[in-house]
Amino acid sequence: MGNTKALKLANKKDVTRFLLDWAAVLALLLCLIVFTIKLGGAFFSGPNMINILRAMAITTIFAIAATVTMAPDGFDISECTLASFSAYIFVSTYLWYGFSLGMAILACILFTMVFYLLTLFLILVCKIPDMLATVALMFVHQGLGLWYTGGGAVSAGMSLPNGSAPARRGMSEAFMAIGQAPTIIIIMLACVAAAHIFLTYTKYGRYLYAMGGNRKAAKLSGINVIKYRFMAGMITAIFIAIGAIVVSSRNTAAQIVGCDNYLMPALAAVFVGLSVGGQNKPNALGTLIGAGLVSVLENGLMMSSVPYYVLPAVKGAVLVLALIAAYSSDEEY
Amino acid sequence: MDKDTLECKNISMLFPGVKALDDVNFTIETGEIHALVGANGAGKSTLMKVLAGANPGYEGQIFKNGSDLEIRTPMAAKKAGVQIVFQEVDTALISSLSVAENIMMNDMIMNMKGKHFVNWPKIRKNALKVLESMNIKIDVRRKVSDLSLAEKQMVLIARALQSSCKYLLLDEPTAPLSNTETKELFRLVLALKEKDIAIVFITHRIYEVLEICDKYTVMRNGQVVSNSPIDETTTDKQIIDKMLGRSFDATFDKEPTEIGEKVFEVSHLTEKEDKIKDVSLYVRKGEVVGIAGLVGAGKSELCKTLFGAMKKKKGEIVYKDKILKINNPTDAVSHSIALVPEERRKEGILVQETVDFNLSVANLSDYCSLSFVNNKKTAANAKQYVETLGIKTPSIYQKTAFLSGGNQQKVVIGKWLSADCDVYIFDEPTKGVDVGAKREIFKLINSIAASGKCVIYATCENGELLSISDRIYVMYGGEISAELETSKTDDKEITKYSVGFKNK
Repeated sequence: MGNTKALKLANKKDVTRFLLDWAAVLALLLCLIVFTIKLGGAFFSGPNMINILRAMAITTIFAIAATVTMAPDGFDISECTLASFSAYIFVSTYLWYGFSLGMAILACILFTMVFYLLTLFLILVCKIPDMLATVALMFVHQGLGLWYTGGGAVSAGMSLPNGSAPARRGMSEAFMAIGQAPTIIIIMLACVAAAHIFLTYTKYGRYLYAMGGNRKAAKLSGINVIKYRFMAGMITAIFIAIGAIVVSSRNTAAQIVGCDNYLMPALAAVFVGLSVGGQNKPNALGTLIGAGLVSVLENGLMMSSVPYYVLPAVKGAVLVLALIAAYSSDEEY
Repeated sequence: MDKDTLECKNISMLFPGVKALDDVNFTIETGEIHALVGANGAGKSTLMKVLAGANPGYEGQIFKNGSDLEIRTPMAAKKAGVQIVFQEVDTALISSLSVAENIMMNDMIMNMKGKHFVNWPKIRKNALKVLESMNIKIDVRRKVSDLSLAEKQMVLIARALQSSCKYLLLDEPTAPLSNTETKELFRLVLALKEKDIAIVFITHRIYEVLEICDKYTVMRNGQVVSNSPIDETTTDKQIIDKMLGRSFDATFDKEPTEIGEKVFEVSHLTEKEDKIKDVSLYVRKGEVVGIAGLVGAGKSELCKTLFGAMKKKKGEIVYKDKILKINNPTDAVSHSIALVPEERRKEGILVQETVDFNLSVANLSDYCSLSFVNNKKTAANAKQYVETLGIKTPSIYQKTAFLSGGNQQKVVIGKWLSADCDVYIFDEPTKGVDVGAKREIFKLINSIAASGKCVIYATCENGELLSISDRIYVMYGGEISAELETSKTDDKEITKYSVGFKNK
């Protein structure tokens, strides 16, 4: 659709529209070009591209979780605090209780889904607005998570909170491989593909977007809005768990609030992706591009010797620009 | 003559495409209760808004005691002593603040120049003084959100009186009130009349006009058709006759359909908050049943309760001898009931989605294999309905937001046709569509009935019901006040039952 549009840019409005619709993609290309000119081969090389992909993987997975929740106009600001909690569960079942890697992964996913029932209970039954319910839950996740670990991180060589020795001494090769290229990149792409297929090609995805566009009309069309919001929540929980597993593997430990910092870049990625292709709704491919933009910027600026502590300001600026692109296109206020 | 007068001369008001007021002359005098009656859309509220300064674009002149007056802003209206109490009390009150603050709102906003601190004792004292002068007991410290509807209205009237008020405009004040609350309001209105205030009283209940008003003005299609004093010889029949005579802008010759046995039956249906009470009705196969009544009579609420979009307290819905369990719209759709809601853009179509998706959303599963949507099937379905319903759209992938009102409505109807429902409920389907589209929608409804389905058609346009329906239920105050055979009734009879006469 974009290409045909590009061919017949009739007037100024079309040009603006086109630029806004493809702003994220253009910005991504622009960043790649500018950094390549400035940094040359050091930036535009196979190993560095892999670096960028690896760095964006975790952000992308959490952003995909947010995308699925935001499709039906939901919101979850507590997803990364829950991920930190899930990470404690994942690593502790593996190290402390000696679960096999597969069982630990399963336990982590199940735990996250069960705990997500609380989020959905507050939203669907108690009818608290998503934003407020999940702000409250951030504290619950942080507190309960650390209560579970006894106030510390879960890592190799440490004993349980009750003093007994852990079942395992350290992580296996397979455990660590999850967080390394190429596995981590494959997991990211699989998550994006799964979310894209689910949201775009299944009836559930269509229903979620219908709810996101106009919940009342969707309800009066006979869509069971509570059921599908619940479904979106459960799928979000699975992606949160996958994010937690990848983070734990990459850090070879479940660090204290280890996932919390991924929230802002993840939300930025979703908002950058909103307008991609003129969709104006949270979509998996847009989210991938958004995460890519954030990571390329981060990587390129780091290589240009911009101090790391300034980077949040850059991410914030990207988020602001994305929000302008997403909301300035709204016809009505 | 020491009475103050407010006189409107040759007032016209143009809205895009409609002449809402057409050369209206209207005079009110202090110490007088003046009723303003007319059907929905006759221009009553528009005229009141002109006097209140909310319609600055009017043409014509307004005279106060014979001298020329411009009322182009709400402030100018207030300066002239005109105060208005709108129908929706909740939009005019700030429910989280106290009664005292709400009454003294104008004072707190306009007379605080140079002051920075709120003098609470003074505000409470002044608010109390106003309420006492009205002979009403409401604790001024209470929060407005805790008040009953009638009390809220009193607070609004108190706010109006607190400022200099010579002319009080009440837009359908009794519509939401119970009988005792209405009596209380009448007592107050009569007391205000004694205080030499002019009161304009808009109502649909004709007996109220006869009970407390001194004069009445009837409006129809933006014009004043009658202006007379009320005395012993005035009858409700006279007033109703004057209200009617509306031209039917969509004359439509219904093709007679074959009417079968009773299939859809509703008994003693009551909405959770009593918005509809004890409604019983039935629809036969191939029949179009009209639901008549004024705005606020409970027609939309009935439609929504039938469809599960509003919760029911009690009552039974039966289709073909089977009791239907309907707790939400999803249940209704699974029992093949369809609703074309009143608020098309908010409730009917998904404006952000394509025509293609809108036409398949109600039965998307039918176009899926293994939960994956088959785009070819939805496109075939969309093409079929775009063609048969004559939906004007450049492509089936056009966003419905860009379609005209009539075409959007066809999309909503098409959505349910493609879902092949048994019972079709229409709530004001012709609202905001042009005459041509109206005729096409009628044709469509006629053909739905002809194919042996049940149709329920709710509207406040009696003319439409007379042309499309076979039988009519008239609603008043959430209840059914009459059941009429379309061929044996007329606009006058429907209106009579719409304004509160009973026949059961």
